[in-house]
Amino acid sequence: MGEVSLLLIIPVMTAVLCWQIKNHPIGEKLQVAGALLNVFIGLSIARNAFFVAPVTGWHHLIYIDALSAFNVMLIVLIGFIASLYSVGYMRHEVAERIISEEKVRHYYLWFHLFIGTMLVVSVVNNIGLLWVGIELTTLVSALLVAFYRKGTSLEAAWKYLIMGSVGIAFALLGIIFLYLSGVDLFGESAESLNWTVLHRAAGQLNPQWTLIAFIFVLVGFGTKAGLAPMHFWLPDAHSQAPSPISAVLSGVLLNTALYGIFRIYTIVNTTLDGKAASYLIFFGLLSIAITVPFMLVQHDLKRMLAYSSVEHIGIITLGVGIGGALGLYGAVLHMFHHSMAKSLLFFAAGNITQKYHSKRMERISGVLKTMPMTGSIFLIAAFAITGTPPFNIFISEFTIMRAGFQSGHLVATVLFLLFVVLIFSGMMYYVVRMAFGEAPAKVEKKEMSRWSTVALFLPLIAVIVFGLYVPPFFQEIIQQVAFVLQGGKS
Amino acid sequence: MEQWIAMLLLISAIWLLQIRKISDSVPILAFQSFVLALMAGAMWYETKLSHLFVAALLTLIVKAIIIPAILHYTIKKIDVHRRVERVTSKYTSLLIAIILSVAGFYVTSRLHLPSTKFGAPYLPVSITLMFLGTFIMIDHKKALMQGIGLITIENGLFLVAQSISYGMPMMVELGVFFDMLVTVVIIGILSFRIHSTFESLNIEKMSNLKG
Repeated sequence: MGEVSLLLIIPVMTAVLCWQIKNHPIGEKLQVAGALLNVFIGLSIARNAFFVAPVTGWHHLIYIDALSAFNVMLIVLIGFIASLYSVGYMRHEVAERIISEEKVRHYYLWFHLFIGTMLVVSVVNNIGLLWVGIELTTLVSALLVAFYRKGTSLEAAWKYLIMGSVGIAFALLGIIFLYLSGVDLFGESAESLNWTVLHRAAGQLNPQWTLIAFIFVLVGFGTKAGLAPMHFWLPDAHSQAPSPISAVLSGVLLNTALYGIFRIYTIVNTTLDGKAASYLIFFGLLSIAITVPFMLVQHDLKRMLAYSSVEHIGIITLGVGIGGALGLYGAVLHMFHHSMAKSLLFFAAGNITQKYHSKRMERISGVLKTMPMTGSIFLIAAFAITGTPPFNIFISEFTIMRAGFQSGHLVATVLFLLFVVLIFSGMMYYVVRMAFGEAPAKVEKKEMSRWSTVALFLPLIAVIVFGLYVPPFFQEIIQQVAFVLQGGKS
Repeated sequence: MEQWIAMLLLISAIWLLQIRKISDSVPILAFQSFVLALMAGAMWYETKLSHLFVAALLTLIVKAIIIPAILHYTIKKIDVHRRVERVTSKYTSLLIAIILSVAGFYVTSRLHLPSTKFGAPYLPVSITLMFLGTFIMIDHKKALMQGIGLITIENGLFLVAQSISYGMPMMVELGVFFDMLVTVVIIGILSFRIHSTFESLNIEKMSNLKG
């Protein structure tokens, strides 16, 4: 139990210390150390939850099963890599006189608080508190999106704050209805919003109320997860935030919002006897479909990556909607693989935009020549994210596809395949043009900095290794999470 | 008694659509939250449920005093006498507000929502408050007014929870209050930055991000 307290306290401590310590070189190393410490604690908790028993505590306020532990694992891993990457990125911004050292301290403050709020969402047992946590992630990350204080970043942050808060207000209405559907059974106590309690009684909840609750929650948290047609804030926020923040937004924040949906989905789907799945399939497919035209006409590198996130969140949702042991296995695997590949892409894109001083794709060419390391990693990550074998995302997309055909969702699966192929061609067209060709004469041929390159290797290992071989312990983890999603265990 | 309180809440929301200066919205919002606190207090008096008393007290302190104070401070720092700008004219927005209110009452009567003995009169108004809050956000072009609309929606949500089951569990209620407070602080910070960057709070100036 002490471990969970540490998991939540360390990001807050790190944030406050980085903010207060005026010595810049110490502060930036301290925040990497804090993030690394949390990786060990997070993984240790996750190991217990996966292989021993769910971690509980604080009078059932905390409950970590395989699904929560999986999210904790992703948050601490991506959080650590992003904090490592931030060092080089922010040094460059300071050297270029884009921001002052004082602003960097504020950046680390909000960055680590942001990680902390996402961890809170993943470990609480109470759906009401889960809502409070998700709203907090919006508030903290809106400040990070507005970090550059330019007109465009303020516009993106405002849109994000308002759309996020309104969306989430609807989710709260959904949660009130869910509370209502169980209040006759358990009486008016805080316990009756604990998802462990709701899950156990899922069969006796009022089906009419749970369905309405689920639709509100899906639309509300779906706004936060970037499901179409509520995704409009997402490309703006992802493209305007500093690149390490884009990586965290895409890699784990979207997953955290999906976590909220899936938690409630497992309860509701039991009550409704599987009828909730069709909503997930619909929103999932729509998200994939809506990405296609935007991908084909994109000019901004980070916007293109952001739309790709809408696509992949759609794929995960589709996978869960298709369901069955295989579909859920594919969806969970896809969550992990997407987090790794997409954060890798955003880090590489951060190096590229800093080198070329532009996010416009027509101004970027010859990345392989100017930065051989970043360029080749960028190319690999782009192949991975579009689902090309032998990289990791191919495996999970293939699994979801197989599950789709097996369970008889023919139309949905064929559409899914068609869209993925279109997105592949749209994205690779731009990526290949950026990677190859001659570099503009004024761009210096040199990697950004050691910090910025080192951070790329961690997710790169996952992208390459998991494409070729999924270790048995990892398979076991994914199966455990899929089992929770199936409603097998609460 | 309950009917009067419900009507006061409805009037405060419609009033927010009719103001001329942004700064006028703050006392109206404070009034709306004060009525909300009164309602929770009245429910506590009838039922003697202690968490209703806490909810009433928190509504009074957080929503009727602190949040208006933060908004007042922000508006003073930007410009006191700024006029609001609306998409529709004053009379059209009044008409739409009335239609939305009727729709709110109609929807609630059709939904067959369960409600508590002392909460039932507030149920239609709570749904209507959410509708009107959304309309305030759409109709007003000034960034800060979208924040005011958001708070109206939240007030509506609070009222829904109160009238259906005398509120959410205490712990969750506290979390929601905390979130609300942080939201308003951040709305203040961002509006201030938007104003100093764009020289205006008009959200139509913010339309550079497309596609």
